[in-house]
Amino acid sequence: MRNLFQSTWKLAPVFLLLLVGSASTAQAQGPKLQMDQLDFLANKANETVDVKLDERLMQTTAKFFSGKDDADIKEALKGIKGIYVKSFSFEKEGEYSQVEVDSIVSQLRGNTWSKILTVKSKKDRENIEVYLNMVGDQITGLAVLSIEPKEFTVVNIVGPIDIEKLSKLEGQFGVPDLGIESDKTKKK
Amino acid sequence: MKTKLTIAGLMTALIFSAAPATPLAHGDGFNDAVKIIEQFYHVKHQSIPLLARAGMKAVRTAARIKGGDYKRLAEAGSVRVAFFEDQNFDSRGQIATFKQTMQATLAGTWSPLVQTLAPKNEEQTYIYIRDAADKFHVLVVTIERHEATVVEATVAPEILAQLMTDPGEMGKALTEDATINDN
Repeated sequence: MRNLFQSTWKLAPVFLLLLVGSASTAQAQGPKLQMDQLDFLANKANETVDVKLDERLMQTTAKFFSGKDDADIKEALKGIKGIYVKSFSFEKEGEYSQVEVDSIVSQLRGNTWSKILTVKSKKDRENIEVYLNMVGDQITGLAVLSIEPKEFTVVNIVGPIDIEKLSKLEGQFGVPDLGIESDKTKKK
Repeated sequence: MKTKLTIAGLMTALIFSAAPATPLAHGDGFNDAVKIIEQFYHVKHQSIPLLARAGMKAVRTAARIKGGDYKRLAEAGSVRVAFFEDQNFDSRGQIATFKQTMQATLAGTWSPLVQTLAPKNEEQTYIYIRDAADKFHVLVVTIERHEATVVEATVAPEILAQLMTDPGEMGKALTEDATINDN
């Protein structure tokens, strides 16, 4: 009986995470993902980056990109309602589990989400998945999952965004350099 | 003579810049952040920064902002600063708890913008933002193993737009801007 209690107690965090994950799934009806359930990983991570740029902030600041050099940024930010990034880097492998990944992926299984790109690198054991949220023929959001043995990153952009725009935002506004290049932006 | 004048200038600037460091009102974000740090880490903030901090950082700050010459990021007279120096910031593996406490306390009036944590080095940066008519109030909390800084400043939207392109550097740029002087 005591062993049963101990085992149940040990599994409590997993149950809790599953509960939060399923609650998140229920809430994530739109293009904005629930990511706060990942926050506890900060205690294990070597480095955590958490960026939240909401609609009001995006629209207020977007109009100040008016110079020639800023044309690409201004175009990429057009209509964007939010940029949300959570990135965790770990010292060793196995510090996060499939449960944490699933708490995000489960939200991307709704009717409006579809996976448009998967990049797998056997050498680096890196897996990048890109999802688009569509309502009718309108893109309303994008999610990128970068899953590596020692790193887990989720990027969620709300608004009309595609791979080309995403590549322009890489390295800016908290969007990490994911190495995603659209055909149009590939440099020869 | 020139050295004496420079030191006098630095002292004057530091006295004036340090004056608002003492928490003035309760529950305004800045004071809350200072109190959270003091309670969680059992440390005390200081009102007067070390002279060594001043100077030589302006060039680095200027380099982060487009437009060439050095330009102050914060609006004149808007900066409040609290320092914690030569103290021990050990989260004892509870860095996420500290983040949650900060979030819970500031959530009502401030929006989190950027948070970076590096528990191994006890490094944390929190940037919160809130409306200030046609400008923005920005609250930056920077914690390292032996020192911490809390800065609140009012920033024009065009400056914020430039800073937002590199949110990771935003906290550092604003903190340096608030803790340097032009004398």
